[in-house]
Amino acid sequence: MKSVWARTLCRLLMVLMVWSPMQLANAGMIGTDQAASVATQADRETLFQFLGRSDVTRQLQSLGIDPATVKDRVAAMTDQEVQSLADKIHSMPAGGDSTGAILLLLVVGVVVWWIWFRR
Amino acid sequence: MAGVFISALAAGCASLFPQTSELGKSGLPPGLPERVELAHTPFFPQEEYQCGPAALATALVSAGAQTTPEALVPQVYVPERKGSFQVEMLAAARRHGMVSYALAPKFEDLLREIAAGTPVIVLQNLGILWAGWHYAVAIGYDYSRGTLVLRSGTQEREVMPFGTHELVWMRSGYWAMVAMPPDRIPVTAEEKSWLNALAAFERVGNARAARTAYEKTLERWPENVNARIGLANVHHGLGDLAKAEAVLREAAERDPDSVVVLNNLAQTISDQGRHAEALPFIERAAAAGGPFAGAVQKTRATILERLGQKRIE
Repeated sequence: MKSVWARTLCRLLMVLMVWSPMQLANAGMIGTDQAASVATQADRETLFQFLGRSDVTRQLQSLGIDPATVKDRVAAMTDQEVQSLADKIHSMPAGGDSTGAILLLLVVGVVVWWIWFRR
Repeated sequence: MAGVFISALAAGCASLFPQTSELGKSGLPPGLPERVELAHTPFFPQEEYQCGPAALATALVSAGAQTTPEALVPQVYVPERKGSFQVEMLAAARRHGMVSYALAPKFEDLLREIAAGTPVIVLQNLGILWAGWHYAVAIGYDYSRGTLVLRSGTQEREVMPFGTHELVWMRSGYWAMVAMPPDRIPVTAEEKSWLNALAAFERVGNARAARTAYEKTLERWPENVNARIGLANVHHGLGDLAKAEAVLREAAERDPDSVVVLNNLAQTISDQGRHAEALPFIERAAAAGGPFAGAVQKTRATILERLGQKRIE
């Protein structure tokens, strides 16, 4: 009986926890970033990355970012970061909340304490 | 009654927070103090939705930068999403002269960085039915009590059990970042990831800061060829061609087959007017082929052209 309850509650907790989406993360001189990345088709990639940058700039502007600041923001990103943003900007998490599920945290907290002290 | 219920729940739920269970079973990881709190870490209570700027300011100021959450809002905040992207948290730190580094997704690494004196930004998801993504800064822990201390939202000192934190943290794929001044390397840094972080820093940041960072990196990983390439690129960018050449010659001795090293060495020698001396290096690079063949051909053409002009003169 106990274990049935426990299992049910665990499942409920798991469902709650996975509910929201998981996030799945000089002329002539060859740049350090190029040397560090394992680009196999360096030249072709440069073109894609260029497209990626203007694309991301546009996407960020459409999300309400001031056009005056967006360029510097994109310039601070690496090619890979630009690419990841271009691909997943609509599914990427944007941290902003501070009010969470207080009750859930409390319940989980009690359980966690129990485990920690019984080990 | 409640005890029995909770213990049953606990036994069944250990798999909900695998890393916490592991930490509990295996004991305090070697070399770590029982309890740490970086009490001097500044606290910036967040405005609505602005935990990104607040968390980033906390990490940057404690690394020695001068900034405020208000100044960071136009650098990381996305109005329509009412939050900040991880990518931009990493990118913005570079604009303040810090090397941003995403930690490996390990609880132990989080504790190690805190123990080394570095506050760690973590991305949690506090939501239940809808996403509640939230950045907080982990600044301490108490192993025997199993708790983490965070600067979080409007709470200056939030104490959260390890397991609770793991539950909300694992949903971001255990995402965590640190912002390091250029003369420091995170204790848990992995060589390759750190070099990528430095290359990202180099393309945005101040060249002198990048030079310091590469020098420190070579102290820690003296064999690393990319750190030498980076250091030479920074010297070259600062106009210090002789130093760039010296670094690249050493790199070519250690790693004679690196096309990037050969290309950059040839370019650097040629930039000092010694085109004929540069030629054999670029020919070796061209013979090797590979992903940089296009860039190598351009360098070779430049050197041949300069050589031709010199002969005509």
